[in-house]
Amino acid sequence: MADESEGSLIVVVVDVNPVWWGLQDVKNDKGLTLFECLDHIMTFVNSHLMMNYKNRIAVIASHTNESRFLYPVQESPATAEDTEGARHVADGKYEHFAKVNDAMQDELRQLLFRNPTVVHTDTLLAGSLATGLCYIHRIQKECAAGQQIKSRLLVIKAADDSASQYMNFMNVIFTAQKQSIPIDACILEKDSGLLQQACDITGGMYLKIPQISGLLQYLLWVFLPDPSLRDTLTLPPAIHVDYRAACFCHRTLIDIGYVCSVCLSIFCTYSPICSTCHTAFKLKTAPVLKAKKKKKSALQTS
Amino acid sequence: MRFSNFKMAASMGEKLKCRDLHGYLQTLPSSVLDRLYNHPATCLAVFRELPTLAKHYVTRVLFVDQPVLKTSVESWVQKSHLANHKKAIQVLSDLRVWQDQTLPGGLPGWQLNTIFRTNLRITLLGGGKPWSGTGKTAPDKNAKDIESLSKYALDRWELVLHFLVGSKGDDSVSADIAHVLVHSGLMKQNEQGKPVITPSGFQFLLLDTASQVWFFMLQYLETAESRGLNLVDALSFLFRLSFSSFGKDYSCESMNESQLQFLQHLRELGLVFQRKRKSMRYYPTSLAINLASGVTNASTDTHREGFLVIETNHRVYAYTESDLQVEILGLFTQMLYRFPNLSVGMVTRESIQQAVSFGITAEQILHYLRTNTHPEMRSKVPIIPPTISDQIRLWELERDRLSFQPGVVYNQFLSSQDFELLRDYAKDLGVLMLDNAVTRTLVVTTSGHDDVKKFWRRQKKGQQS
Repeated sequence: MADESEGSLIVVVVDVNPVWWGLQDVKNDKGLTLFECLDHIMTFVNSHLMMNYKNRIAVIASHTNESRFLYPVQESPATAEDTEGARHVADGKYEHFAKVNDAMQDELRQLLFRNPTVVHTDTLLAGSLATGLCYIHRIQKECAAGQQIKSRLLVIKAADDSASQYMNFMNVIFTAQKQSIPIDACILEKDSGLLQQACDITGGMYLKIPQISGLLQYLLWVFLPDPSLRDTLTLPPAIHVDYRAACFCHRTLIDIGYVCSVCLSIFCTYSPICSTCHTAFKLKTAPVLKAKKKKKSALQTS
Repeated sequence: MRFSNFKMAASMGEKLKCRDLHGYLQTLPSSVLDRLYNHPATCLAVFRELPTLAKHYVTRVLFVDQPVLKTSVESWVQKSHLANHKKAIQVLSDLRVWQDQTLPGGLPGWQLNTIFRTNLRITLLGGGKPWSGTGKTAPDKNAKDIESLSKYALDRWELVLHFLVGSKGDDSVSADIAHVLVHSGLMKQNEQGKPVITPSGFQFLLLDTASQVWFFMLQYLETAESRGLNLVDALSFLFRLSFSSFGKDYSCESMNESQLQFLQHLRELGLVFQRKRKSMRYYPTSLAINLASGVTNASTDTHREGFLVIETNHRVYAYTESDLQVEILGLFTQMLYRFPNLSVGMVTRESIQQAVSFGITAEQILHYLRTNTHPEMRSKVPIIPPTISDQIRLWELERDRLSFQPGVVYNQFLSSQDFELLRDYAKDLGVLMLDNAVTRTLVVTTSGHDDVKKFWRRQKKGQQS
């Protein structure tokens, strides 16, 4: 706890997939609406900022059409003036928290207005995570020499995994691992194999919350403590991680498959030309002619 | 035989103690604490200063209205970290953040202080009354930008430091401020009744600016009540100031007389900027912001640009125009050259030992050097060349060859038998520090003195009868 004074940065990635949240609204038993969920997240964000005055926060909304920073906002001077004016007749909330929360709400509203139609139903989670990593990288570079800010990513995930992002996702995970940035995942509904792997590889926490209405308490309990503090706490036990890979051709999870010997791409069915690196695989069509080299070429399977 | 008491008090200056917020609040009576929690800003400040684990406990029970079982709190941490847990619980109870509460079943539990809980929730979620002074103010036509505010603050603060070293006239600060400086032991009255700097004052100069301000404010608050200032008012105002936005103006319309007086003192110290005495608005300056975070262990001085370059040949280059900084540097270096924007000093054995004799420790010197290094030097690890830091420590150690322990001397024994008897007795007890058979002298520790004395009385009685 000696480096407590250093402050830490959490990048929160919120899944705002309109399709999933829309369905949730229809079901609407004990569930949360998107903006109620945002309330929980804002309280979590405030709590983090409350811990230490050097703590920083970034919130990224992951939509199906784009990823967007809810906070910090690149603001033009005009909008800065506006929000300040609106905030003056406030209540007892700490000014800085109020500013952060207002910015988050405004941005999310704008994001939803700007994307009335949905092109596809998958959340751009890998993209958002990559944006988050870039942001962390930038903040760490901006730090004065000799100082460091501890950073981590927190994903609040609603919609299902999308197998089409498998590759990008894995790249993000390994980058995070290399930069030693833990990825935490808070799952609202369905277990996500990809995030399980992400948390396991980067040393983060993975938790599927049993009750969505208790989101805040779980956030405060499990995800607010710093990774250094987590060792001292009794936290939910780690789950068994599903390490199955998705094939590159149909994006389905497979137990046994074909691996390209050149680029290590995974396929569920055999194809003579690798679709990733375009290597053509020689078949052992004429084993009789070159009996001596049979064994070598036999290894060249796809 | 007779014995005489020796008390060798360390004649060296005592180390300047700088308490953090937590240490300070613990000295306050509990009634004051309870009143303090009436303001959200104080709750926030107190919360930030809690140990990490305690912070976690508070956030965890913040939204739980019932008392929580003590045993369940204990189950939140792993068995191997129970020491941490005990410490956190101790701090929370000391600060009256939570209290003992018996659960319906008769089991012991904890409950958050209701006022604290309400106000912390307000800070976090909103609701309640706005913090006073945050009301909308009309646009200021003489608005200040952030740079000029920072410069203003540092200029004012430097004036106080100048007064401390006595380089400017005696009337550069008000009587109240001078009183605080004397009260805190940073200065003392000399024969002519004029305040002069003390060893603690030198140590104070070597702190970084944030810690200096914090230390000074603590001393100020200690003398506050004698000046008719309401401690709770002053503290909550200070915390509010510490959480305000930099570069924004606040109104002082809702403030009462004692707070206005407090504001004038803060203005003199440079913690707030107020254009005119009667002006109804003020700007908090960089000195005031985040003041409540107390003594920083920061590796850099956040208020000033670093200006020192330290070379392995023991030379220190100071790129500064400030007389004060050069003087501070002169405390532990031998000045070689002085140019308009650059001074060069040499760290020598004599200069360091002179500083140590003032009561300055090597760690304080190193801390000063480290916090004020030029940005160009910061990229090096470690920042100060190890040869220099080791050498400074070694030079300090040279003075520490004697250690002092209080003891009691027994001498003028009439016979060597008596002497040996007493010596062996003291040795058996393990309280003998020194003995000399030729001069018949022995020294025992103060704790063993009573036993040895009793033994000797009994012995004498036995001889007489």
